Amino acid sequence: MTRKIAFYGKGGIGKSTTQQNTAAAMAYFSGQKVFIHGCDPKADSTRLILGGMNQKTLMDMLREEGEEKITADAVVKRGFKEIRCVESGGPEPGVGCAGRGVITAIDLMEKNGAYTSDLDFVFFDVLGDVVCGGFAMPIRDGKAQEVYIVASGEMMAIYAANNICKGLLKYARQSGVRLGGVICNSRKVDREREFLEEFTAAIGTQMIHFVPRDNIVQKAEFNKKTVVEYDDECNQAKEYGELARKIIENKNFVIPQPLKMDELEAMVVKYGIAD
Amino acid sequence: MACELKEKERAGVINPIFTCQPCGAQYASIGIRDCIGVVHGGQGCVMFVRLLFSQHFKESFELASSSVHEDGAVFGALNRVEEAVDVLLMRYPHVKVIPIITTCCTEVIGDDVDGVVRKLNEGLLKEKYADREVYLIPIHTPSFKGSMVSGYDVAVKDFVSYFAKKDQPNGKLNLITGWANPGDVTALKHLLAEMGVDATVLFEIESFDSPLMPEGNHVSHGSTTIEDLTGTANALGTIALNRYEGGQAAGYLESEFGVPAIIGPTPIGIRNTDTFLRNVQKLTGRPIPESLVRERGIAIDALTDFTHMFLADKKVAIYGSADLVVGLAEFCLDLEMKPVLLLLGDDNKAYPDDPRIKALQENVAFDMEVVMNADLWELENRIKNQGLKLDLILGHSKGRFTSIDYNIPMVRAGFPTYDRAGHYRYPVVGYAGAIWLGETIANTLFADMEYKKNKEWVLNVW
Repeated sequence: MTRKIAFYGKGGIGKSTTQQNTAAAMAYFSGQKVFIHGCDPKADSTRLILGGMNQKTLMDMLREEGEEKITADAVVKRGFKEIRCVESGGPEPGVGCAGRGVITAIDLMEKNGAYTSDLDFVFFDVLGDVVCGGFAMPIRDGKAQEVYIVASGEMMAIYAANNICKGLLKYARQSGVRLGGVICNSRKVDREREFLEEFTAAIGTQMIHFVPRDNIVQKAEFNKKTVVEYDDECNQAKEYGELARKIIENKNFVIPQPLKMDELEAMVVKYGIAD
Repeated sequence: MACELKEKERAGVINPIFTCQPCGAQYASIGIRDCIGVVHGGQGCVMFVRLLFSQHFKESFELASSSVHEDGAVFGALNRVEEAVDVLLMRYPHVKVIPIITTCCTEVIGDDVDGVVRKLNEGLLKEKYADREVYLIPIHTPSFKGSMVSGYDVAVKDFVSYFAKKDQPNGKLNLITGWANPGDVTALKHLLAEMGVDATVLFEIESFDSPLMPEGNHVSHGSTTIEDLTGTANALGTIALNRYEGGQAAGYLESEFGVPAIIGPTPIGIRNTDTFLRNVQKLTGRPIPESLVRERGIAIDALTDFTHMFLADKKVAIYGSADLVVGLAEFCLDLEMKPVLLLLGDDNKAYPDDPRIKALQENVAFDMEVVMNADLWELENRIKNQGLKLDLILGHSKGRFTSIDYNIPMVRAGFPTYDRAGHYRYPVVGYAGAIWLGETIANTLFADMEYKKNKEWVLNVW
């Protein structure tokens, strides 16, 4: 059975980086077959896997060549460790409806049978927040059953994570989607681990892994590579390997209970003005 | 001298030939017994469509709206679907089948209709309607894609794939009529009865021609049952008469349940009806009886009485859905007429590969244009500004002003036809359809001769 996973999190938190590094680690250390569907109109969800290859997005193709020209072979590219990648793309900034773009892209991929049954994992890398119905497409009925939220100990990242949980709550009943955990992509802020642990416990989930901050991630990115591909021996590669293993073995799937604003404020105050 | 297939080159649409996808899904849903569709969108998505149905049939049909307003568009409108289903079930104790038909608005805002169906199945239906048999069927028909024709195709497929279930062979033939009138269904059932074939007709809509009874007025609905739909998986075979209006469902039954499918041709005219009967014979093994050979003879005799003398070389423009337009064009060719302009009201990418259109391209020996994604201005502009001379227009009522303004006789065919009485009662398919169409065309031209004092005396000695 293919496990379909959606990654959400505040913009700029390192979702795409974490997601790609995890995919690479899954493929490299655990031999998993992974498909990444980038659902961000910026189309930067697969760059590290494809070595910076400038991929033609689904929406580009739809616009220029028409729906009937779209086939799985034409849009799905293979990168590091045969990880299959597709980017939805979207309209130019400021026009159209990016949410509808996500819906159309996923529908097209399903219609073309791109998510083949031999896959172990399909990752949906979604821009930022569940801002509208379109960005909830990956967690609709019959699509991703698991969600991981990428967050850090920064206040706004927690706000966003809480907000995403509200979206999940809405869909949990009608689509069966569950939260698999929160991934801490460390920003090295004070008492980050404790904050995340208290927050995740409060919403009823787990902090599945604490990914430490390490410059090698940026170095690998400059080289258009994931950490595992850049240096499989380094500590950070092992951290991503550990995160990958935890996701593969994860059994902790819940319907989150998002915090109310005053509860969240209280928690932020507790950790935010600690010193 | 050739048949040219092209796309409308002008941007924008002036006087569209079709309305949008949800209309087609609604037309399919009114064909099912104990079914009321909920259209998830603004009220106009139901109101205008119901109006078209009412105009065409002069009857009333039941369709519901989730009535999405500004707040629904902003905040998501699935709660409206939940309420709509609840209200429908409370108010109509007989309702079993509720298709939830999406529209442009609700598709763009990304309302998860499949998800809400699951939620209702596990919640409301279990809690409040545990003793009721209820089927909620999501049908995705965004209005910004395809047309009412593709919406019909999608809905027929969705109904069939939702209910069809493999069981013992039932020895029946599935007949998917496409977007037909009650008169067509009667004619088709007559042909099958003569052949002794037991068929599941999708959809049984003869009852759209409803009586006015002593006990009062009456809401029309079709009579296809859930059992009919379930049994489609166990049939001998499927004939989908119209490639673009039910063809998908036939393909589904073939690939999913191994029910052999024959798609097309639309049995308009003698030769297409002959092909249809041979196809029925192929799938059922039943011989074509002498009675039908005789009916065919009567039709040919009727047509030969006037064809060469009055119809030869008459120039015709035809517009509407591809299956109807191509079928009518083939019939016109057989009647020695020249269908010089065919307007297909949407831009289905499959049209250039349609064997019937290819056959026109290969065989037509005069100038013929087939315009895809056409509107009615394509017709009017050619008459008004490009010197197109026509003897006849074939199409639905939306083109009546072109006929009136340019004094071109017109025979109504297709949906919607609301400016002539009782047209839905007459077939265009089968031998009966050939007689009715041929004679109606002839009589329309006769009336025009008299009206224009154009050799009307010929009729004195005919």
